[in-house]
Amino acid sequence: MSAYIVPAVFIGVLLTSLFKKQDAYGAFIDGSGSAIKLMTGVFPYLLTVMTAVEVFRQSGVSGVVADFLSPAMRIFGIPKELTELILLRPLSGAGALSVLQNVFTTYGADTYIGRCASVVYGSSETVFYLSTIYFSQSDVKKLGPAVPIALTATFLGSVAGCALCRVL
Amino acid sequence: MGKIWLLILLSSVGTLLFANPSAAVAAMVKGSHDAVRLAMELVALYAFWLGFFSVLERTGIANRLAKILRPAVRFLFPGSGADTQKFITLNMSANILGLGNASTPMAVRAVNSMSGDGGRASLNMIMLVVISSTSLQLLPSTVIGMRATHGSVNPSDFLIPCMIATALSTVLGITMVKLSGLFRRRKKRSKTADAPPLTPNGRAAKANSSPLPPQPRTSARAKAANSSPLPPQPRTSATASGDGRRKSGGGL
Repeated sequence: MSAYIVPAVFIGVLLTSLFKKQDAYGAFIDGSGSAIKLMTGVFPYLLTVMTAVEVFRQSGVSGVVADFLSPAMRIFGIPKELTELILLRPLSGAGALSVLQNVFTTYGADTYIGRCASVVYGSSETVFYLSTIYFSQSDVKKLGPAVPIALTATFLGSVAGCALCRVL
Repeated sequence: MGKIWLLILLSSVGTLLFANPSAAVAAMVKGSHDAVRLAMELVALYAFWLGFFSVLERTGIANRLAKILRPAVRFLFPGSGADTQKFITLNMSANILGLGNASTPMAVRAVNSMSGDGGRASLNMIMLVVISSTSLQLLPSTVIGMRATHGSVNPSDFLIPCMIATALSTVLGITMVKLSGLFRRRKKRSKTADAPPLTPNGRAAKANSSPLPPQPRTSARAKAANSSPLPPQPRTSATASGDGRRKSGGGL
């Protein structure tokens, strides 16, 4: 079902432009031209974060930190197997995805842990990455409480999601 | 972010120095490689979605969408200009459809069109980060796809808990941002009470009086308050009036 939504929206938009006699071709060119400029602003941040995250994972430090944190996670009812996922999720989408894959192959996608992992991944975002990218082209350097609030909110959401996975 | 980055690098490279020194640089360079590959992919995705959104703007669909979502956007992002509201609407729509990569360029443009609080993120910017982070979306298609490839009997079996979790974290996030806004305003108020009162009042008065013919100005503002988008006012004056309102509110 979901596969139909985006193409259908696309056709609808193109038909509207035809109907309103607007130059969709020219508009598309105008818009896509700004992508390179956007990426030149974003790229340094992307590379800086990803370099650190990769060495964080490969050195095994992320696993150690996850082990260290898992008793605290247990208090919140989050299975200890998911600590590394929760740790990496705000830092790197690709990193978290490979951890999620690991969870699925080790425990299976339909187990309680597999479903919890799905909820954790699906209900949160790469907060650090996203907040740096959003401000990459503005002169705002102090983000204030943006990241702490985002992290707290998504973490509490994950806690609730894991609890719900037991009953639903 | 800078501190966290430093902490991660120091601890990881420090560990590798003792465990496996030859792997340290290799791991970091691999990260850089991955970043370049991802950037290439993202340029293609950004170009496509920016092109598509440009068509949305040209056909006026973006404005209509912004009009539909205006009550919500107005509540979440008070005092934002019409352009900002449009970008935020597109960002939220893309997020809800699960098109994370499409929503990012719109968020960047939204942030660029807002005025910062003197190098500090304004409350609206914080709200945008928080709402995007809690990832309100209808279909987390990545996870569904991955569950299916790992032999799940029912790949979308986690959707109900996931949606409740997302909704909860979104509500919590919004509440926390609004609360921090109250806190910030109170702090500002106490600061203005300490400081010589002339400065904020003077600045507010200047912001209020700057566009010369005051008659149409007030009517435009009244119209904005009553009905709808800060209309064809130039953006700078719209933000200035927003600032002025906030500052005079803080001074009173």
